Amino acid sequence: MRHLLVIAAAIFTVSAHAETPRDFLTRFEKEAGAAASAERGARFFTTKQGGEWSCASCHTDKPTQAGRHAKTDKAITPLAPAANAERFTDAAKVDKWFRRNCNDTLNRVCSAQEKADVMAWLLALR
Amino acid sequence: MHTEPKPVRVWDLPTRVFHWSLVASFATAFITAESEKLRDIHVVAGYTLAGLIAFRLLWGFVGGGYSRFAEFLPTPRKLIDYLKSLTRGNPQHYVGHNPAGAVAIFLLLGFGLVAAASGWATYEDMGGHFMEELHEVAANGMMAIVVIHIAGVIVSSWLHQENLVLAMITGWKTRRS
Repeated sequence: MRHLLVIAAAIFTVSAHAETPRDFLTRFEKEAGAAASAERGARFFTTKQGGEWSCASCHTDKPTQAGRHAKTDKAITPLAPAANAERFTDAAKVDKWFRRNCNDTLNRVCSAQEKADVMAWLLALR
Repeated sequence: MHTEPKPVRVWDLPTRVFHWSLVASFATAFITAESEKLRDIHVVAGYTLAGLIAFRLLWGFVGGGYSRFAEFLPTPRKLIDYLKSLTRGNPQHYVGHNPAGAVAIFLLLGFGLVAAASGWATYEDMGGHFMEELHEVAANGMMAIVVIHIAGVIVSSWLHQENLVLAMITGWKTRRS
């Protein structure tokens, strides 16, 4: 039990090194090799992309607000960094949730360009 | 003198039903872990797993025969002797759980409780990021034990020339003498 806690604490510490939301925009733009478009990000976020859900199904089309889980109805804290300082500060967490949520909404991984566009839009929200 | 193989009753019905229900609930929870669409199935599988483990902990004290914890409580001495006998190619035979298997069982039950408790806390928005990480570590710990357990079953079935999977289905073992 003590070992387990030590392991968990170690993983927690490793994954908790701080990043800023803007770092992710920079990273995804670099990976995509092209500039991001907030407008494209807004469209991508708020419309269905082949799946049953869009990003907005849980995060709402105004992600400065709190969202609601489309399956469990649980509250989801705002996604836009302007409304929630905890968002996009941990690379492991960001990668994990893009992996999961892209699979739920697109049935595939998101491209770097799609992630860059969404980041640009989320960062533009006030 | 040649003796006919004698069937031995090893696993009682509750233990067998528990075993395969745990397989089903853990597999379901593991497969649905990454999907928000299947989140409700994941949660139900997790609560089922917790209930099954609670039953097994009780059954370890009030159940009979080879199901009792006292029957297979592993000690370092027993474990080392058993592992040594494996490397010598002349493995000690246990009708019930061997000491290595027993260690795996207690680890699996422990990881399962931690996974269920931390999963519940995460679902109820308590404990934050730490509980989420703990949940994943515990679940991956369970999967690691499952892999080792399956490898152990295959090796042990081969070494002792007995079908351990069949025994967990029927409850009977046939000892070759």
